[in-house]
Amino acid sequence: MSFLNGLFGRKRDSSAELAKQRLLTVLIDDRYKLTPEMMAQMKADLAEVLKRYLPAIDADQIEVTLSRGEAHDLLKADVPLRRATDQSSHR
Amino acid sequence: MGRVITVTSGKGGVGKTTTTANLGTALAMRGARVAVVDADIGLRNLDVVMGLENRIVYDLVDVVEGRARLRQALIKDKRLPELCLLPAAQTRDKDAVNAQQMIDLTNQLRAEFDYVLIDSPAGIEAGFRNAIAGADEVIIVTTPEVSAVRDADRIVGLVEAAEKGPASLVINRIKPRLVSRGEMLSVEDVLELLAISLLGIVPEDETIVIATNRGEAAVYDPSSLAGRAYINIAQRLAGEDVPVMAIPDQQGMLDRLLGLFGRRRT
Ligand SMILES: Nc1ncnc2c1ncn2[C@@H]1O[C@H](COP(=O)(O)OP(=O)(O)OP(=O)(O)O)[C@@H](O)[C@H]1O
Ligand SMILES: [Mg+2]
Repeated sequence: MSFLNGLFGRKRDSSAELAKQRLLTVLIDDRYKLTPEMMAQMKADLAEVLKRYLPAIDADQIEVTLSRGEAHDLLKADVPLRRATDQSSHR
Repeated sequence: MGRVITVTSGKGGVGKTTTTANLGTALAMRGARVAVVDADIGLRNLDVVMGLENRIVYDLVDVVEGRARLRQALIKDKRLPELCLLPAAQTRDKDAVNAQQMIDLTNQLRAEFDYVLIDSPAGIEAGFRNAIAGADEVIIVTTPEVSAVRDADRIVGLVEAAEKGPASLVINRIKPRLVSRGEMLSVEDVLELLAISLLGIVPEDETIVIATNRGEAAVYDPSSLAGRAYINIAQRLAGEDVPVMAIPDQQGMLDRLLGLFGRRRT
């Protein structure tokens, strides 16, 4: 079943996908009392600190996610760095 | 010494009583000595689901308060001599017992049964705390709906905090056609959200309604999907190395193909 699900994919705007994304936000809020506003503020603060060391950081591109794990939950920040050589040719 | 297993949930009405009755019956059908305990005090239900409502003389509170001995209050199942029910009190409220009394009670039961399954009230209050007080293991029941999953997550945390974790999960009332259309959370979605181990899954099945009307467990009808699902869960609970049952998804494939060509079936 999951093989077929993978094969055909689930539409990103399906109600199940929407439910899952909403629940992710709600569960994080329930467990960590981290509101979307606080999350946005954390991203901004994070960008500010990181920029002191890495000027190539693009603050708008930082993605912070919380995910669930068996033993512990995980806070993950994806911080894209502009490459000096190819920053104009890519995207 | 038997295992004391509490069946609980955050949201009400997701299938705790149905699960307790069916797992208890399935385990007894395998030859185990099983006691099912209705800990939903004031909202007695397990007796009617199991068709034993006419036989009640004493209840859990009578035992706890010393008006009856455990042996007098336990009701033997109609068909399975190794299956017993300890009913809840109907006219008392949740405060009629405390956690220590539940621990003492489960210790008595543990000595005489292989499995003690406790049907917990929903929610996060005293009734839930009493129901898990004597537990060795906790099963959390949820449906694949946002409010039920959210409330289940609260319970996951409370069970961990009470050092009764990690709990295992039963996802009930799955509608495979809705899942395959992307209109219901899938088993994988729920597991990713709650991050606890999966004990089993149960499809939405009319057999549950009919079986409950008759006061018989659905596992007596092993041709039914829900009956098979609960037998599978009982096997896994008993430690058999069997995979979680797959729920057949008869028309899902067709739906998906039609979906691929941009058509909707309603
Ligand atoms: N898999 C299923 N398919 C169809 N109906 C179901 C299924 N599981 C449960 N039901 C129905 O849902 C209703 C609630 O189930 P049940 O009483 O077991 O829930 P509960 O969690 O014990 O509720 P409460 O929180 O009130 O104690 C019942 O009418 C039951 O027959
Ligand atoms: Mg119930």
